[in-house]
Amino acid sequence: MGHDLSRRDLLKAGGGAFAAAAIGPHLGLHGAIGQTPKRGGTISLRLWDPPHFDPHLTISYKTNILYTFTHSRLLKYKAGPGVSPGSFILEGDLAESWSQPNETTYIFKLRKGVRWHAKPPVNGRELTADDVKYTFDRFVSEKGNAYRSMMAALDKVEVVDKYTVKMTLKEPYVWFLDMVANPMALAIIAREAVEKLGDLKKPEAVIGTGPWMLDGYRPNVGLTFVRNPSYFVPGLPYIDKVEVTVDEDNASRMAAFIAGKYDLGWEASGTINRVDWVQIKDTLKQRRPKLQSLEFASNQMSHIYMRTDKPPFNDVRVRRAISLAFNRQGLLDAVAEGVGVLNPAVPAALKDWAIPVDQLGEGAQYYKFDPARAKKLLAEASYANGFPATLSYATYGSTIQVDSVQLLLKYLKDIGIDAKPIQQEYGAYISTTFYGKYESMAFGPQTPFLDPDNYLFGPYMPNELKNQSHVNDPVLGDLMIRQRRTADVAKRREVLHEIQRHAANQQYYVYAPSGVYIGVWDGALKNYVPNLGYDWGGRLLAAWLDR
Amino acid sequence: MLRRYLLKRLVVAIPSLIIASLIVFTLPRLLPGDAVQLMLEEKAYGKDVDDLRHKLGLDRPIYIQYFAWVGNVLTGNLGESLWTKRTVTEELGMRLPITLLLGGLAICFAIVIAIPIGVLSAVRADTMRDYVARSAAIIGLSVPSFWIATLVIVLPAIWWGWTPHLGFTEFSKSPGAHVLQFILPALILGIASAAGIMRLTRAMLLEVLRQDYVRTAWAKGLREGVVVLKHSLKNALIPVVTILGIQLAQIFSGTVIIESIFQLPGMGRFLFDAILQRDYPVIQGINLLVVSIIVLMNLLVDLLYAVLDPRIRYS
Repeated sequence: MGHDLSRRDLLKAGGGAFAAAAIGPHLGLHGAIGQTPKRGGTISLRLWDPPHFDPHLTISYKTNILYTFTHSRLLKYKAGPGVSPGSFILEGDLAESWSQPNETTYIFKLRKGVRWHAKPPVNGRELTADDVKYTFDRFVSEKGNAYRSMMAALDKVEVVDKYTVKMTLKEPYVWFLDMVANPMALAIIAREAVEKLGDLKKPEAVIGTGPWMLDGYRPNVGLTFVRNPSYFVPGLPYIDKVEVTVDEDNASRMAAFIAGKYDLGWEASGTINRVDWVQIKDTLKQRRPKLQSLEFASNQMSHIYMRTDKPPFNDVRVRRAISLAFNRQGLLDAVAEGVGVLNPAVPAALKDWAIPVDQLGEGAQYYKFDPARAKKLLAEASYANGFPATLSYATYGSTIQVDSVQLLLKYLKDIGIDAKPIQQEYGAYISTTFYGKYESMAFGPQTPFLDPDNYLFGPYMPNELKNQSHVNDPVLGDLMIRQRRTADVAKRREVLHEIQRHAANQQYYVYAPSGVYIGVWDGALKNYVPNLGYDWGGRLLAAWLDR
Repeated sequence: MLRRYLLKRLVVAIPSLIIASLIVFTLPRLLPGDAVQLMLEEKAYGKDVDDLRHKLGLDRPIYIQYFAWVGNVLTGNLGESLWTKRTVTEELGMRLPITLLLGGLAICFAIVIAIPIGVLSAVRADTMRDYVARSAAIIGLSVPSFWIATLVIVLPAIWWGWTPHLGFTEFSKSPGAHVLQFILPALILGIASAAGIMRLTRAMLLEVLRQDYVRTAWAKGLREGVVVLKHSLKNALIPVVTILGIQLAQIFSGTVIIESIFQLPGMGRFLFDAILQRDYPVIQGINLLVVSIIVLMNLLVDLLYAVLDPRIRYS
């Protein structure tokens, strides 16, 4: 078995390619089709200053995104005009091929002749299976690596020969390849860099096999990447230089973008926040008429979580009442210019796995805004006059989050739940509420993963740290294990749909809608399509500039 | 006499610094959530939190951590960032000159704008010019500097597709561009301080202009410029100089936002990030440095009194 995608998925991906081709003329993709790519040029991006450069000692997206320019992974997600946003199709990166002889064994064949960046102490030597083993071993053994739970299923990594690695799992875990491909975690690193510098925190330790090399780092100011002339895919990348500006002020970013100083949108995945977009789109039509844009659902999902292990939230009628009281469209109108998508337990943005809300069966009814029915349910649960509660949250420095909380409090009040807001500073929130240590209710976002397992397993499995609602539901527990062991994609999808239907009916978490991203890029950038996730480097790998 | 006074003031500054060190050491630790929890965020796994806390030395009793830190500070070592492993001294060495230049220029702009307008407003009290100046001062005090900065950046981009210089040019690359990039942020930062200084200058000068000795000067037939600038302004400036010391602290806090807007890698932004990350050595190092600078500046202000008014004696 080479891939965990069925023919159906591949056909579907192909459909995505046709769809992209169909919408291409509206996106300016036609500029790329049939044209000969040009080498050269500099692309300017607004990204973030990393806390440091060791991807095993931070979970910061700021570090992980930069590694997508300089480092390679064993596998990656396909990028480019053939992939519609929200789809994640595995393909080889350093691995030329891979196979799965049994449920718990994976064998990766590495490309030959892959060279590390020509920087000391690695000095451009060839990458081998030992490097892969070293990376995975460090990843799972480094005590400061908060992402190592992603490899919790990994038992051992063995070097079969110079170009072959064998990985054995403790138990079947069908998402393993997705974890390997995830740009959040498994960039292959060089042993010499760690050994010489103690860790990879310093910029001189950024030595990979990726398409660009780190050429300069100016703390709080920016970074420069230059093309790796020895990149293992001949001819790639096309873009010679990537100039990254660190810009922490939204007004300044917006002004710089209008003035043409950035080639991609300045927010997550090269997007522009819809509220900002509405303000500046007319100006942009005049100032940057060739700008391209594409809208796609965001995987950034917030939810209300509550102490379902004690009254009143242990009563499903109370939870359903809260969902019915939640005016999701009202929230979108207030914070997202009215545009968004409803989320089941898997964000709608992950369209290969999420089930449409109207197909949630019995649970679908609780997504309707119906305060009268909510009050009736509360009365049935012996809370005719409502009850007092608390709602813990952190602002995340976002006015959207603050506005959302204020609206939620109003919606709850409308059905008699008098929730007292408890605003916590981010650090306090993460160390208490996020881990389930709160009084009655809380509200906050989840990490935007690219696979459904990370949205489900932690929040719904008993004794998991991320089980914020204190869920203990044997039906869900069984389904969670089952989806992790179902290799057949169609069958796994059905299990995941079953989980989402059950979760919607039980409303252990009341999911807020997500916004719709607006991916924006300069008209001169060809062969580029935005997608969710941190893989900025991957999406720009085969893109080119027509200036 | 001056040397004795100076020594006395320096000795008095020591308890201030000790108290400040206790505050800057303790307060960040009283906030819920520590650096380790923020490093691991929601992904803590097994004994990770305890292990990492031990690795960083954060599991030791707080008084031991305090004395270890003070001991290092006395030898000039402000510690090492928990996140980046770079020394705080090294980080400050990169950032302090930027903030000092920004703050220094802002104070200069504040003085250059405020004192002439304050003098004009006092000398032409209750005229149209005075009303305009006072109204401008009220606006300057009311409008936050980040708002002015935002407008200055966004409006030209919308109108002309142009922005003022954003980003940072190192001195070694272009000395001229390096200094020029500070002009606009310093001017904006200086406006709020200028408004306060202008109002104080006007009020003090009006009071001095009503003094008998000023009337005598007028009676002697001296020119207006001599009466105002030579005989009155010097005395009126003593409270103004005092407020400059206080304004310095205000300007330092203002740099946090202005540095972010203009993308200047100064100390303000560094401190802001350190607080969010609970990077204790960095928070302590910056705050101790700022406290020391403010104590020193206030000492300088006290010494300036004697220059402005020879009747003031130090004892």
